[in-house]
Amino acid sequence: MSPGDRARELAALQEDLKRAGYIAEPQLAAALLLMQELGRPLLLEGDAGVGKTEVAKVLANLLATRLIRLQCYEGLDAHASMYEWNYQRQLLAIKLLEHDERGIEQKEQDIFSERYLLKRPLLEAISGERRAVLLIDEIDRADEAFEAFLLELLSDFQLSIPELGTVRAISRPLVVITSNGTRELSDALRRRCLYQYIDYPDYDKEFAIVRARAPEVAEALARQIVAFVQAVRLMDLKKKPGIAETLDWTAALLSLGVAAIDAAAAERILETLSALIKTRDDRAAFPREVVARLAAAC
Amino acid sequence: MVALERRALERLTGFPAFLRANGFTIGGGETIEVLRTAERVGVLAAAPLRWSLKALLCGRSEEWRRFDPLFDAWFLPANRWQTVERRAAERGAAGEHAPAAAGAEGEETDATRSRAAASERERLGAADFRTLTGREHLLEIEALMRRFARRLKAIRLRRAARARRGRRLDLPATIRRSVATGGTPVRLSWRAHRRVRPRLVLLIDVSRSMAAYSFFYLRLARALGAELTDVRSFIFHTRLTPVSDALHDRDPWRAQERLQLLAEGWAGGTRIGASLAEFNREHASRCVHARTAVIILSDGYDAGQPEALAGALAELRRRARRIVWINPLAGRADYAPLSAGMQAALPHLDLLAPGGDLRSLEATLPKVIEALK
Repeated sequence: MSPGDRARELAALQEDLKRAGYIAEPQLAAALLLMQELGRPLLLEGDAGVGKTEVAKVLANLLATRLIRLQCYEGLDAHASMYEWNYQRQLLAIKLLEHDERGIEQKEQDIFSERYLLKRPLLEAISGERRAVLLIDEIDRADEAFEAFLLELLSDFQLSIPELGTVRAISRPLVVITSNGTRELSDALRRRCLYQYIDYPDYDKEFAIVRARAPEVAEALARQIVAFVQAVRLMDLKKKPGIAETLDWTAALLSLGVAAIDAAAAERILETLSALIKTRDDRAAFPREVVARLAAAC
Repeated sequence: MVALERRALERLTGFPAFLRANGFTIGGGETIEVLRTAERVGVLAAAPLRWSLKALLCGRSEEWRRFDPLFDAWFLPANRWQTVERRAAERGAAGEHAPAAAGAEGEETDATRSRAAASERERLGAADFRTLTGREHLLEIEALMRRFARRLKAIRLRRAARARRGRRLDLPATIRRSVATGGTPVRLSWRAHRRVRPRLVLLIDVSRSMAAYSFFYLRLARALGAELTDVRSFIFHTRLTPVSDALHDRDPWRAQERLQLLAEGWAGGTRIGASLAEFNREHASRCVHARTAVIILSDGYDAGQPEALAGALAELRRRARRIVWINPLAGRADYAPLSAGMQAALPHLDLLAPGGDLRSLEATLPKVIEALK
């Protein structure tokens, strides 16, 4: 492969992503290409609100395939993420089969057939005809045991259901894993995955995002909004505003008819600030004077 | 062109080992993956190759930040990389776990490190054995710490899980079982509480006023780390240093050595509030969750502002499940938590317990366990 080919491929992917509404750095584009080629999961880390989940969505969108999402939470076990039997229907079937002449083994086979199986995300992801995108969101919320189980699934892509036997993957999903870093993940999982650390966007990237996602905003205002948010992020806050907050705030400003961010608009900026600043302690860092000063600097 | 590509490939094969020497967690099989990646991307496409290898070989944010300079050091023209490579090789021969540094700054610390270690060893020995010197004391401490650790092991938090006997009926499992008896639930399944151990975070004050005790508490941290899987330890005086990796190293000699390397500024002044704030800022999001018990081992003599301490504790309180403060002075008959630091801290604690000697520590153990539950 000549040096230019890959660069062109990456540029094309970036362009596609942009058209789908996601502004990606070339690094991320490179990782997305590589994960498809090597068949490895992609682990995304970064603060909340930097657009980790969005990556999986836009990837599914781009490949015109299904996005299957597994939201992790404390206490999630392997069972709940794979499959469940539809007990109500099974119970009904048992009653209906009561006067059936067939032997008990056959009845059992009937009751534990795929018709009564409720597929949960993991089973769903490997049993589709088309390669799906599997998003395992906030894996750090689940415990270590689940992580170990997941690791096993990700290495051989098969699940075992006691009543049915082993289910092999019909198609191997593209796996995107996100973590907010509330718990240290195991080295084994990290080794298995490609890695991307997503930081808060810089000025140019965030400006491009605002332009792409809120095209109705005038360019000059968009520049000011981004400059304001960037300045806010430099402050020592508990919860820095993410991209979603920027977009929310933009919408809030629009609805109040703010045309420019300057000291004169400080009052209305204060009213909308709750879209940007989400904790009480942080809110205390924004008295009127600070907002006016920040706004004047934009 | 071909020669150029061959040389690039040769350098590629050595890259994972170079990163490993720099403290990356990389397995042995990565070389093959690196070559596969390079084949797809093309070895001469510098930027795409960098981005792809970065995704492939990094595993955590800290590695992510360090990757680019290391990539440059390894792949940039000879006059720059040769020195770096040689340096890494030399260090590799000297000791596996010594991290190889790419920059000049790293080199400096490495050169001074072994000398610092020697003097630290003497200083540790002199400072910490002041009250307990005999060998039998030492053994006693070890034994007590292990007992303490084992009893802490018994603390479990409750989580529901399937079980043979329990208090709540597990309907899905019961119905599944009932199939064998034609839909009549003859044998019942239950849900009971699975017990989950809390994570322990130890924050050990190693300032001068604690010199007589901090050694003792480090033993405790080490014993806990050996008995329990989920323990994080930090030491602090004017700033905070994570010591889990060093303390919980399986090899006791290496553990001791690594700890000595960390102990710069040991036995200086204290700024508890600032140290806790640093903990909140840098480590709490990763270490502290709703099942975490934070144990602070300090005498509460704080050279910083008491408001800073109160603020930091209040923030920690919101994240953690329990905060226990073990104060070596609290066992004395005339002790009252009058120091400004202790006064500021008290409202945020679940328990303030004495722990100045073996006996008092043993005596407070049940209370500590009760508080952690």
